Amino acid sequence: MKFVCAVAAMIVAASFGPANAQDAPLIPTFVDETEAAGVDSTYAGEWEYIVGGGVATFDCNADGMTDMLLAGGAAPATFYANVGAVGQELKFEARASGLEMDAISGTYPVDIDSDGITDIVLLRVGENVVMRGLGDCKFARANEDWGFDGGDAWSAAFAATWETGADWPTLAVGNYIDRTQEAFPWGSCTDNWLHRGAAGGFAPPVALKPSYCALSMLFTDWNRSGTPSLRVSNDREYYKGGQEQLWHLRPGEEPVAYTADEGWKPLKIWGMGIASTDVTGDGYPDYYLTSMADNKLQTIATPPAEGQALPATFTDVAFARKAIAQRPYIGTDLNPSTAWHAQFEDVNNDGFADLFVAKGNVWAMPDFALLDPNNLMLQNPDGSFTEAGDKAGVASTRASRGAALADFNMDGLPDLVVVNRGEKAQLWRNATVGGGGWIGYRLEQAGVNRQGIGAFVEVRAAGRVQTREITSGGGHASGQSGWWHVGLGPEASAEIRVTWPGGKAGEWEPLAAGAFYTLSPDQPAAVWSAP
Amino acid sequence: MDSGRRIFGLGLFAAVGLAGVPRQLWAQGARPGPDDVMKTWYRLVLELVRHTATYTPPVASRAFAYLGVTAFEVVAQGDAGLRSLAGQVNGLAPLPKAVAEVDQAAVLHAAMTRAVAHLFGNTGPTGQRAMAALSRSLGAEVAEGLSGDILAASEVQGDAIAAHILAWADADGGAIVRNMGFPMTYEKSVDPEKWVPTSAIVQQQAPLLPEWGQNRTFAMPGGASCGLPPPPAYSEDPASEFFLQAKEVFDIKANLTPEQRAVARFWSDDPMLSPTPPGHWISIAFQVLDRDKAPLAQRAEVLAVLGITLADAFIACWHTKFEYDLLRPVTYIRRTMDPKWESIMTTPPFPEYPSGHSTQSAAAAVVLTALIGENVAFEDATHVDDGLPPRPFASFHAAAEEAGISRLYGGIHFRAAIERGLEQGRCVGAFATALQTRV
Repeated sequence: MKFVCAVAAMIVAASFGPANAQDAPLIPTFVDETEAAGVDSTYAGEWEYIVGGGVATFDCNADGMTDMLLAGGAAPATFYANVGAVGQELKFEARASGLEMDAISGTYPVDIDSDGITDIVLLRVGENVVMRGLGDCKFARANEDWGFDGGDAWSAAFAATWETGADWPTLAVGNYIDRTQEAFPWGSCTDNWLHRGAAGGFAPPVALKPSYCALSMLFTDWNRSGTPSLRVSNDREYYKGGQEQLWHLRPGEEPVAYTADEGWKPLKIWGMGIASTDVTGDGYPDYYLTSMADNKLQTIATPPAEGQALPATFTDVAFARKAIAQRPYIGTDLNPSTAWHAQFEDVNNDGFADLFVAKGNVWAMPDFALLDPNNLMLQNPDGSFTEAGDKAGVASTRASRGAALADFNMDGLPDLVVVNRGEKAQLWRNATVGGGGWIGYRLEQAGVNRQGIGAFVEVRAAGRVQTREITSGGGHASGQSGWWHVGLGPEASAEIRVTWPGGKAGEWEPLAAGAFYTLSPDQPAAVWSAP
Repeated sequence: MDSGRRIFGLGLFAAVGLAGVPRQLWAQGARPGPDDVMKTWYRLVLELVRHTATYTPPVASRAFAYLGVTAFEVVAQGDAGLRSLAGQVNGLAPLPKAVAEVDQAAVLHAAMTRAVAHLFGNTGPTGQRAMAALSRSLGAEVAEGLSGDILAASEVQGDAIAAHILAWADADGGAIVRNMGFPMTYEKSVDPEKWVPTSAIVQQQAPLLPEWGQNRTFAMPGGASCGLPPPPAYSEDPASEFFLQAKEVFDIKANLTPEQRAVARFWSDDPMLSPTPPGHWISIAFQVLDRDKAPLAQRAEVLAVLGITLADAFIACWHTKFEYDLLRPVTYIRRTMDPKWESIMTTPPFPEYPSGHSTQSAAAAVVLTALIGENVAFEDATHVDDGLPPRPFASFHAAAEEAGISRLYGGIHFRAAIERGLEQGRCVGAFATALQTRV
């Protein structure tokens, strides 16, 4: 029995700390429980596995606890069922799930067939595979049943959306270089694919031309137009004439790249990961783009004006907000960093989204840090960030790749799992004492797109509104579904509003802090309790 | 050296490809000759320059110099009409001689294998894999039909020549580049005319390679041998020459024509996104030599002397840049004209005066004109893989002039830096063309 009691406001209500806006951020405490929790997985392999190394977090047995799948590279992936208890130390159990396939670089959870059971996308060096969730954490290959052409490429990026009117998701798959090229692989970026829905499955994939060696993709409604665009982060190491990309994806139309006339400005980086949240508080998503020696925090350059189209122009504010994280902050190896997965989550529940970045050398590149600590940058009330990875205990110098901040023990504090290349993955429990209030929520709607991908969730507390776009994709080879988390600072309650895919906004609804809720259209939030 | 083994089966070139170097280098089934080996390795080197993080333009120029000398010395040992550069360029002692019969292509392959691996030892796993793959595959083709003794002697000789060159290279002051060439700490000057960072990248809050001008030169006596007078005196007076030169940059951007934008883009040659400015000139040289079906000896001397002058140009230019430490147009224009002004091109993270592309392009033009000819028209397809169409030029000097003025169109240099940079380059080039490559 995992749940020692129903999850409700009593879990940590007494522990809400001060977290005043003027205070320096509370340094969180993470405890390495990898071994004790039973996690033993390594992302292994040669050159074809220099990128990738993902982890998917999801609930596949409807017990509310977040399970996970860790990519193994050349070795089989490992599925871990969460067998821990609420508020307790982390505990996982490796189980046969049907997902234990080799050559997996990345993995993303999404309920493709809208049956209420999470399915899993396996990005591979070779054929990609969609795995239908059968319940009780069992999965079965569904490529043939769903008409999904897995191709034969080096896939490392993924994103999903439901286009307006579609009853089947649109999946974007990002592909890397032509792995058969040895002496002259540069310029051999292979086509990315767009798998759109057809009757009861997928149509043949459409090539997203041009493609520039994508390592992260994200469907995101960057301008709150109601129609998400596809953001693609590309690795300049291999493309010729390439750049970062933003694609229009209008229902029933071919994808079209944004142009300079629309404000899009070329950006050429070693793009490896995308994280998004509204850092600036303007209601629009901001984007963290990981790279080498330099990372970007992009925010809309032009303040939104009533009735005017928003130019697709972004300003890099990473330097101004001290979020560059360009080189190690501990140790003696101060060569430039190599950044991969990034994710915003409020790890200390002070009401400000923090930023985790997984770091790690590509493969014995001496011009870059060989001992490259992961970053945990805490957001200050003024919107700047302060590095706390070492003090928080997550400054691992293993060659990290994918990661996930997820509340595995449902105590209201996001825990952390990191996949490392050539070394064991690591799992930390967030054991912070004295953090602020929090709310956990998940979206659930009838019909298709059960998980509400594309919705915007606003949480109003302490005079601020925190906005999260519910997405499937991004990061580096790593995806999440299920519970979403928001910190509230000193507040014991907050108001929440969901703007559902399609644009229908719900009412603001007061919720007590310290509980998990299921949010559905036209219904009051339901406090979630164990089955 | 058995020059009779050379096979010039070069009539089957495919379309120009990566950085202007043909992809298909010799007839199918034919054994590659020394010039095939040379071109194939240079094709890879142009990619490695683009994809190795430390390979900013000065670092790239250095590699081209040592690789050019390596190839030339191999060829010179098999050609009685060529004269070794030992004793001519600074610090190069006579090279080891072969003690047994060798094959020129095999010697060159062995020498390039070792030299490239050394100079690009820090490249990433894909570059390492590429070097190994090329060494293996090209080596197998080169070995085709050779006796074991000749092949072994050739490999020993190529390795010895490369080792000799690399030992020479390691002592020039530029062998070790840390943090991609940016000092970990840097104290900015408070004087208004001095360079200040222009980038929002933390690493670039210090200037690139401030000590590069102290490196050992090749053909010119030292880094100060082609010094320049100071730039126009700093002033914020609208009537001053300095202000007027900045106003020219400002006005050009405001009225930029599509052709000017295309010129700026064509010569941008950004590190990590192109073969860099010195690689661009190496590419030009290959395109012209291939078009003209130049003989091996000429190819070897062009690569050596061009590489040498490119390297000397960057040493001279960097010496002058840090002598005057002048601010960039973006800094001045924001201060005096428009606080939100941005340059068309990304402003490089080091002092402005003189323009590096101008210096090295003029030096390259001097060398190519001397070794290939005056008023040699050509079409430059260096950037076709990046989607930029070829550009025609009436001569090497015309190309150098355009490379220089591209920096004005791009908003990263004042006119004085371009004009004086071109002057400096012509000075540098003259030292290189004074080298004796023929007996």
